[in-house]
Amino acid sequence: MSGMPLLEVEDLHVTFRTASGPVHAVDGVSFTMKPGSSLGVVGESGSGKSVTARALLRLFAITDDVQISGAVHFDGQDLLRIDERRLRDVRGGQIGMIFQDPLTSLNPLMAVGEQIAESLRLHRGMSRSEAAAEAVELLARVGIADPEQRATELPSSFSGGMRQRVMISLAIACRPRLLIADEPTTALDVTVQAEILLLLDELRRSEGMALMLITHDFGVVAATCDDVQVMYAGKLVEKASMAHLFDRANHPYTEGLLRLVPRFEDTHTGRLHPIPGQPPITGGGGSSCAFAPRCSYAVDRCRSEVPPEVAVGPQHLSACWLATDRAKDTTEAGQPWRRAQ
Amino acid sequence: MSVLEVDDVVVEFDTDGGRITAVDGVSLHLATGETLGLVGESGCGKSTLARAIMQLVPMQRGSVRLEDTDLGSLSRRELRRMRHRIQMVFQDPRGSLDPRMNVSTLIGEPLRVHGIGDRASRAKAVAEAMELVGLPAAVADRLPSELSGGQQQRVGIARAIVTDPAVLVCDEPVSALDVSIQAQIINVLDELRDELSVAMLFIAHDLSVVRHLSDRVAVMYLGQIVETGTASEVFGEPRHPYTHGLISSVPRADAESAARLQTARRLVLGELPSLLDPPSGCRYRTRCPYATAQCAEAEPPPEPVGRADGLHTVKCHHWRTIVSAAPEPQESATSQELAI
Ligand SMILES: Nc1ncnc2c1ncn2[C@@H]1O[C@H](COP(=O)(O)OP(=O)(O)OP(=O)(O)O)[C@@H](O)[C@H]1O
Ligand SMILES: Nc1ncnc2c1ncn2[C@@H]1O[C@H](COP(=O)(O)OP(=O)(O)OP(=O)(O)O)[C@@H](O)[C@H]1O
Ligand code: SF4
Ligand code: SF4
Ligand SMILES: [Mg+2]
Ligand SMILES: [Mg+2]
Repeated sequence: MSGMPLLEVEDLHVTFRTASGPVHAVDGVSFTMKPGSSLGVVGESGSGKSVTARALLRLFAITDDVQISGAVHFDGQDLLRIDERRLRDVRGGQIGMIFQDPLTSLNPLMAVGEQIAESLRLHRGMSRSEAAAEAVELLARVGIADPEQRATELPSSFSGGMRQRVMISLAIACRPRLLIADEPTTALDVTVQAEILLLLDELRRSEGMALMLITHDFGVVAATCDDVQVMYAGKLVEKASMAHLFDRANHPYTEGLLRLVPRFEDTHTGRLHPIPGQPPITGGGGSSCAFAPRCSYAVDRCRSEVPPEVAVGPQHLSACWLATDRAKDTTEAGQPWRRAQ
Repeated sequence: MSVLEVDDVVVEFDTDGGRITAVDGVSLHLATGETLGLVGESGCGKSTLARAIMQLVPMQRGSVRLEDTDLGSLSRRELRRMRHRIQMVFQDPRGSLDPRMNVSTLIGEPLRVHGIGDRASRAKAVAEAMELVGLPAAVADRLPSELSGGQQQRVGIARAIVTDPAVLVCDEPVSALDVSIQAQIINVLDELRDELSVAMLFIAHDLSVVRHLSDRVAVMYLGQIVETGTASEVFGEPRHPYTHGLISSVPRADAESAARLQTARRLVLGELPSLLDPPSGCRYRTRCPYATAQCAEAEPPPEPVGRADGLHTVKCHHWRTIVSAAPEPQESATSQELAI
């Protein structure tokens, strides 16, 4: 391992106070990303993926009663501790973000070219005319045909896939070093999704930016990311390279997620294997393995102590009391998610 | 024998921009206990076709025969009497359930509406339907708001099967659900098919789910079915460029995932044309890398592929010369190569 990390998240906790009690949405998350790397974050709904991403940039609604602790080192500064003005420079500057629903994040009353130009003037100090020209350039860059004309149109005149391209052009306008994409293709048709994923991959390579992609689809991660992290109840329960994860997923939750969905190439799979029960609605924060109530491998210890992260291979971590034993068992019985072809 | 026979159905809508043909001459059939998966891009007409089959939107042309009865020829009263033989499951479980009714009332409602059975037999049918979809008896008195998303969708399915229909039309029944709950509901549908031998039209945008559940598949593009056949024919040996593009688009958890997406990009060019101004000839030609002058002039008829049973058909002039391997794209005016 060489080179400085671009992003270093240390023991991040995010807790919301709600009417029905505290929600530990993020419960001690640590990870690093190198410049130009690509990281997929996977997990069921409510596992804390989006809150983790938002916490990196402290993007919360004013109405949220939220407490954040830990550290987010990015480019020599701790994003959790810098003042709001400097943080605004980072958001949409060195770190770009794309969300699931592009309509909610674009201004519906402003031509898309103007929105991009505004960001360029703000973050890159361009003049009005420079920014306008660069906006057209950026739209062309993300594959929008007739960009001069389209730059003058409102977001509502773009299809879902084209709107997402506009969002991407906005997010990369300031040449970010890190792009965070939260379910960027979930609302899109599969053919459009394919184009957006390719675009993200190409931009990452050509711009040398790092990509953090949040999704519930392992296939999406496989197509775009080198590394993957699996999240459950506010914790990262498994971290691995993509290739390594498919070959030897270790954590019972990861195994569950991989067995859950039908695979396109499996023609006769019989019944699917849903994970029984549901994720805890209050997030993490307990004194046990949060997955224990749903885990078919659980032993007594799982219900009384939080499992630590254990190295089970090169750059492969699993937070499970059985991690070491499971890593040794590479037979079919030990890896039931690897179905015979 | 077919329980459902859909022949040359056309549905048009008047919109602000003019008249559109949302379903453009679709024919399909369903045998007892068979599941037909219907796939295609957003706006291609899947839901409209489903609603036409349910007689919920007027058809400009064509016929829908359910168990040898032409639904279009029935009076409204006669149609109401047939309704219990064909039922629908919707995408949004919450939105399709009356929030003031409890679970057992909701599930028994179709029986009461159709005047089927007496109180005792209805209660029995409700209990059986709940058991079939895996709803514990303990939730019978709960309101929809007191149920999880998965339980709500189970209620939606129980309502649909309680009348013992011959055909179940499922329009994106799992799309709104989280992955783990999706798997539960897919299993419920799978079990129903085995136990009730109900025929299913299954609409979903997740091709892996469609392949998992379907015996046969129909691929729709701009209101037309461009390819149909058994699931293994259509997904395993696609003949239409669009089908091949769709399949290549599915991100799979393997090492070739990114390469396959490149193939998809070469096979599905540019954007979906507007229904207000559909392309002449082959509807797919504005996005097809193989399009020729012939494609703009004449609409290709559906042709049988391979085996003579005629089950696998494809609507393309050039399917014989298009190899299923990754193609080299031709010059195309609509091609949007990225400027990278
Ligand atoms: N503003 C908020 N106030 C209170 N709780 C919140 C808030 N935002 C998120 N949560 C809770 O935090 C937890 C994590 O939510 P998060 O949105 O990160 O999940 P996710 O993994 O992104 O799920 P999805 O796949 O559905 O997007 C959930 O239990 C959620 O209900
Ligand atoms: N009641 C209506 N009036 C006017 N146009 C309609 C109506 N219903 C549907 N359409 C149009 O008909 C076309 C087909 O729509 P439909 O809902 O059948 O597509 P779909 O394949 O189900 O799409 P999706 O995957 O997004 O559900 C679309 O262009 C839609 O806008
Ligand atoms: S620690 Fe125990 S309960 Fe948690 S995942 Fe491992 S085996 Fe299951
Ligand atoms: S008929 Fe022509 S345009 Fe249509 S799919 Fe076949 S080759 Fe492409
Ligand atoms: Mg989220
Ligand atoms: Mg629809």
